[in-house]
Amino acid sequence: MRPILLSGHERALTQVKFSKEGDLIFSVSKDHTVCAWYSANGERFGTYKGHVGALWTVDVDPHTRLLATGGADNTMRLWEVQTGKLLKTWDYLTSIKRVEFSEDGKQLLGVTEKRTGQLSHIVVYDIDSNPEAEQPDEPTLRIIVDELPRVTVAGFSFLSQYIVSGHEDGSVSQWDAKTGELITNVFSHDADMQVTDLQWSADRTYFLTASKDKQAKLHDARSMEVLKTYVADTPLNSAAITPDPQSYVILGGGQAAMDVTTTSARQGKFEARFYHKVFEEEIGRVRGHFGPLNYVAVDPTGKCYCSGGEDGYVRVHHFDPPYFDFKFEVEREAASQSRM
Amino acid sequence: MATPAQKTVDWAEDGEPDLAAAIPAPQVSKNKDGTETVVTIFINEDGKKVKRTQRIRRTVVKKKENPRVAERRTWQKIGLEAGKPAGPGDTTTLGENIMFKPMVGFKAGGEQEKAPEEDKKADALKKMQIKCRICMGDHFTTKCPFKDTMAPAGEDAAPVDMAAVENGETPQGGLGAGAGGYVPPHLRKGGAGTTGERMGGKFERDDLATLRVTNVSEFAEENDLRDIFERHGRVTRVFLAKDRETGRAKGFAFVSYADRADAARACERVDGYGYGHLILKVEFAKKADGK
Repeated sequence: MRPILLSGHERALTQVKFSKEGDLIFSVSKDHTVCAWYSANGERFGTYKGHVGALWTVDVDPHTRLLATGGADNTMRLWEVQTGKLLKTWDYLTSIKRVEFSEDGKQLLGVTEKRTGQLSHIVVYDIDSNPEAEQPDEPTLRIIVDELPRVTVAGFSFLSQYIVSGHEDGSVSQWDAKTGELITNVFSHDADMQVTDLQWSADRTYFLTASKDKQAKLHDARSMEVLKTYVADTPLNSAAITPDPQSYVILGGGQAAMDVTTTSARQGKFEARFYHKVFEEEIGRVRGHFGPLNYVAVDPTGKCYCSGGEDGYVRVHHFDPPYFDFKFEVEREAASQSRM
Repeated sequence: MATPAQKTVDWAEDGEPDLAAAIPAPQVSKNKDGTETVVTIFINEDGKKVKRTQRIRRTVVKKKENPRVAERRTWQKIGLEAGKPAGPGDTTTLGENIMFKPMVGFKAGGEQEKAPEEDKKADALKKMQIKCRICMGDHFTTKCPFKDTMAPAGEDAAPVDMAAVENGETPQGGLGAGAGGYVPPHLRKGGAGTTGERMGGKFERDDLATLRVTNVSEFAEENDLRDIFERHGRVTRVFLAKDRETGRAKGFAFVSYADRADAARACERVDGYGYGHLILKVEFAKKADGK
């Protein structure tokens, strides 16, 4: 496996996302730029210019027409993917920590940071997927999170039925996406260990959370039950689920950025870890980054994955045949039995 | 229809200028096994006429591509990339090859497993602050290879106790009274002679002919040093102090000669010799019991 290095960012990567067909990669970093890349060979398609602060988050709609970004300049912006035109800017009082499109691309969610005197908000906009159309100024739903601790991540469940958010204290909450009512709040991670990432399965019926408590947990989106737990030996920044037929999860993390200079790369544990989704067993690691992995994203078609690191590189890995051939003994048996 | 006309021309009788005109078009014939034979006659770089016969098999590779993806490949680049040709080209920066093979019962790799243990050991050593008094290495003084030949570094004079003994003060018993503190039995008055018996007597003879070499490059090798010093006499031993963790030289070495005269000559000549961008300093090693 020869990773492709995407070197266009000058500072730490914060999020990377694949388009639905897996041909484009969108990356944002603390250097204020949004980049789009062809995943096939790592060539840069372009940059989206406008933000004036570190960027925290990016998401692309399922048609790869619209791109949403949010950052520390207290704005959430909507871009046309093809032309790079800035379509809409929403201003807030605090920075945007997470944006996400719903499954159908008709809704856009944003999470604002809780800071002195400001509470975390989860805002939802109705988006017209036509780039020419006028986008709304006011959100259709605004959840003001005042009783729960700071929201770090959030996303839409299947059919945009729920909004699920991860919090600074390690808890995960489920909200009604229509009314904004809090349905449940579960403490699945260790107390006061921030939930750092929340990624969905392909059908959005279950999701994976990563936390600083060195664990990633697979939750059911409806019951909020913890289905699986993956234990790592380092604080996690990101966790992704690979699409069928390979049922793995990829965890990324590493020593906190502030401690990195005091440790060697070997000890920093800057590796992507692969676990079997069902058996919760670690099956391999991919090294390469020389800083912690801030985000891991998987190509929705399952051909490759990429990771964005604190070291300013995005590494795109196209999987080799062993990855596709690998099966546990029981899986092999099951496959041979179903054939008979 | 041009071919029959050309065929009538005998190339051997043709003059040089007509040569180019006399080249027939490539002939393509289909073979039974589905391949094609292409016969081309052309003029190579040296101006010679060459006949080339190629057998070609054509295979059609069908590749399915999502029309949306295909469309995106033709998009004009934007932002900082504006003006560059559309779509992904064939330039790719690849990193080093990384082995990734999923396996059951993965255990963070052999070498990864070992490394932290080593580090722990090193950490433990650092915590204990083990430092050899003789060569300043990170081992116990008793394990120093020079414990018998060298004086502890930075101690030119004999230990305090010894001075006390020489001054005629009489520390008695194991716990010395007065300034001296503990006095080893062999140094106490009435002990076994003046020097006492010493262990490792086999190093004794080296004492006089051992050189201490300092300011050695950290990339130095024992063999290099041996080469340098063997020019001046028979070298019995070369010891280059190396760091345990990094395996690099620590910057000093000991060289023993069979003959003291050789050692003296080497000391004179090699002192100030440039080696590995550093200038060697050579002096006689100090004796363990002081002078």
